[in-house]
Amino acid sequence: MTNTGANILVLDDVPDAVVLIKKILERKGYLVSDFTDEEQAIAHAANHPVDCAILDIKLKKMSGVQVLARLKEINPAIRAIMLTGYPTIETAREALDLGASEYCVKPIDKQELEEKVAQVLA
Amino acid sequence: MTTSMTPVDMPTDAENYRHSQYLTVFQEVTRLISMVHEPQQVMDMVVSTLPGLLDLEGATIRLLDKATNTFVVGAARGVSPEYLSRAYIDTAEVLAAVRRGEPASRSGLHLEGDERSKEAIAAEGIVSVLSLPIVYKDEVAGLVRLLSKRPRTFSRMQVEFCMALAEQIGIALANSRMHEEMAQQISYLKAVRHISQLVNSTLDLNQILNAIVQQLPPIMEVSACTIRLLHPATNRLELMAASGLSDDYLNRGSISREDAIFKALSGEPVAIYDATKDVRVNYHEEILQEGIKSILAVPLRSGSEVIGVLRLLTAYHHLFTPAEIDFAMSVAEEGGNAIEKARTYRKIELLFNQIEEHERFLTTIMDSLWLQLLVLSPDRRIIMVNKMFCKTHGIAEKDVLGRDYHEISPWASPRREDCPVDRVFTDGRPVAILDKLSHGDHDLWFERHLSPIFDDDGKIEIIIEAVRDITDQKLLEKEKLEKMKLQGVVEMAGTAAHNINSPLFAALGTAQLLVDDISDQQTMAELQLIIKNLRAIGALTKEMTAVTGFESKDYVGDARIVELTSSPWHPAKT
Repeated sequence: MTNTGANILVLDDVPDAVVLIKKILERKGYLVSDFTDEEQAIAHAANHPVDCAILDIKLKKMSGVQVLARLKEINPAIRAIMLTGYPTIETAREALDLGASEYCVKPIDKQELEEKVAQVLA
Repeated sequence: MTTSMTPVDMPTDAENYRHSQYLTVFQEVTRLISMVHEPQQVMDMVVSTLPGLLDLEGATIRLLDKATNTFVVGAARGVSPEYLSRAYIDTAEVLAAVRRGEPASRSGLHLEGDERSKEAIAAEGIVSVLSLPIVYKDEVAGLVRLLSKRPRTFSRMQVEFCMALAEQIGIALANSRMHEEMAQQISYLKAVRHISQLVNSTLDLNQILNAIVQQLPPIMEVSACTIRLLHPATNRLELMAASGLSDDYLNRGSISREDAIFKALSGEPVAIYDATKDVRVNYHEEILQEGIKSILAVPLRSGSEVIGVLRLLTAYHHLFTPAEIDFAMSVAEEGGNAIEKARTYRKIELLFNQIEEHERFLTTIMDSLWLQLLVLSPDRRIIMVNKMFCKTHGIAEKDVLGRDYHEISPWASPRREDCPVDRVFTDGRPVAILDKLSHGDHDLWFERHLSPIFDDDGKIEIIIEAVRDITDQKLLEKEKLEKMKLQGVVEMAGTAAHNINSPLFAALGTAQLLVDDISDQQTMAELQLIIKNLRAIGALTKEMTAVTGFESKDYVGDARIVELTSSPWHPAKT
């Protein structure tokens, strides 16, 4: 069961990855806002409702964990899925400590991504 | 020339008889003197013979006691003990005449005697007295007193005869004293030899000092003895040993400023008859309280140097004789030499102990080092080795010392021309070497330092070789290098994986979206092939991000390939 119409924020420094996630999730009926810049993503979250954030760990200026901390300050109820191409125990622990719901390693299957998002929003 | 007597001058028979009696007595006295050396027998014989010979009631002989300058009874006959023990012997005039060596005759003592002894004289009934000096070598040694209870005079012959007898008594006394002195000298010689043996039988200073202060008093018939030595560093006198004296007396204070000490330290003996009053010693009150009467202080010598003062103290007034002083000086000299020997021995012993202590200290330091240490003589022999060397090579110190360096050193080069020891001896400069020794299936690394030590002439006296086992350090360095390599590989793999993963994710996701959009079976199959291979790449990048080790393996030709090891617990695998 999907929670269609939910607002999802996607942040990755690789534009192709952002576009792909947006395509996959929009096909599932979610409202997706995609960003490659951290400040823009944080500003969007401050001004718009966001139910779930899909954050890459390695960004341009900040880390995904730092962005998650800022988003949690704005909206403590926000849910998050961390995505990374270089998983480490430290970033996994930090992200989970800050309230991330999932810590996924790229490349993630389309189906797995859909399932994770559905689980997080359920 | 001959003389002849007229009938008028001819002696009568009575006179001839008396003369022969005088001669007999004189012969008897001289015979006694030559046969026996006991003056008491001579004196007894004189006092027992003279009263009968000269028609007297009594006779006494008194001897001069130089210590008290009084005449004491030597022998007496015909008088009571009370008379003998009266305080005053005769008038001052008579005694003065006797001291001058002159005879003195007095009669009518019952009428005008010595006022001081009038009662004793009256009780004894003495009326006439002839006092004669006992003279020997121009010195008065005593007096002979001939006593009569009747008024009488003494003829010239009688006086001369008695004077001759008195002189014989003097000779007897002198002979006796000479014999006594000789006997004392022999006794002293024996005592000196005994003490000499005693003090030379040990090198223990305290034993020597105690032997002297304990042995000397009974030999010299004194009650106490002390030894003070000049401290070599401060030149102050210090009490080292004492016998027969109380602690209070010994702690009365310093005697360094006493004249007697000054004189003794200048090498002269000092004999004090009355120590309670003599200005040459201080602390008269303490001396009196201790019961000391006379003191003899003699220098303690070692060779020509005075090293202290020996003092002998008596409980009675005593005039120390030259023989006694000589004896004390001899003992002090023997003692002084023994004391100096003991002091020298003590110094040597102290130095020896210090050397031993230094050696122990050095050995402790050497043996506490983790370094292996070898000390070499110029002939390349091992003269010192520390415990670490012996322990490391399982060899006893005694089996190493004196051996050739090349026989013992495990690091010695088989080629003598490469020997660093020779290089140090030739160049005179220290050498540092890194050496590797094979030990079973592994290598041991050593850092060797060879340093020359020069003598005062600038020649190499010894070489010290310090060897440190740096195998652990080498292994650590190697491990660190391996770790750095691994870190580099891990970082490289992680970075590569990360950089691949995002585009891979985009490609895989896009391919999967395409699968949803197309219906052509041929294209679908090709897309599935693409997705399968993209997933395979994804699996590889996951391996790369979870790398925990690697192994370098041969590839093709000279090329090598790295085989990665990854942790199953890494987030990439979970």
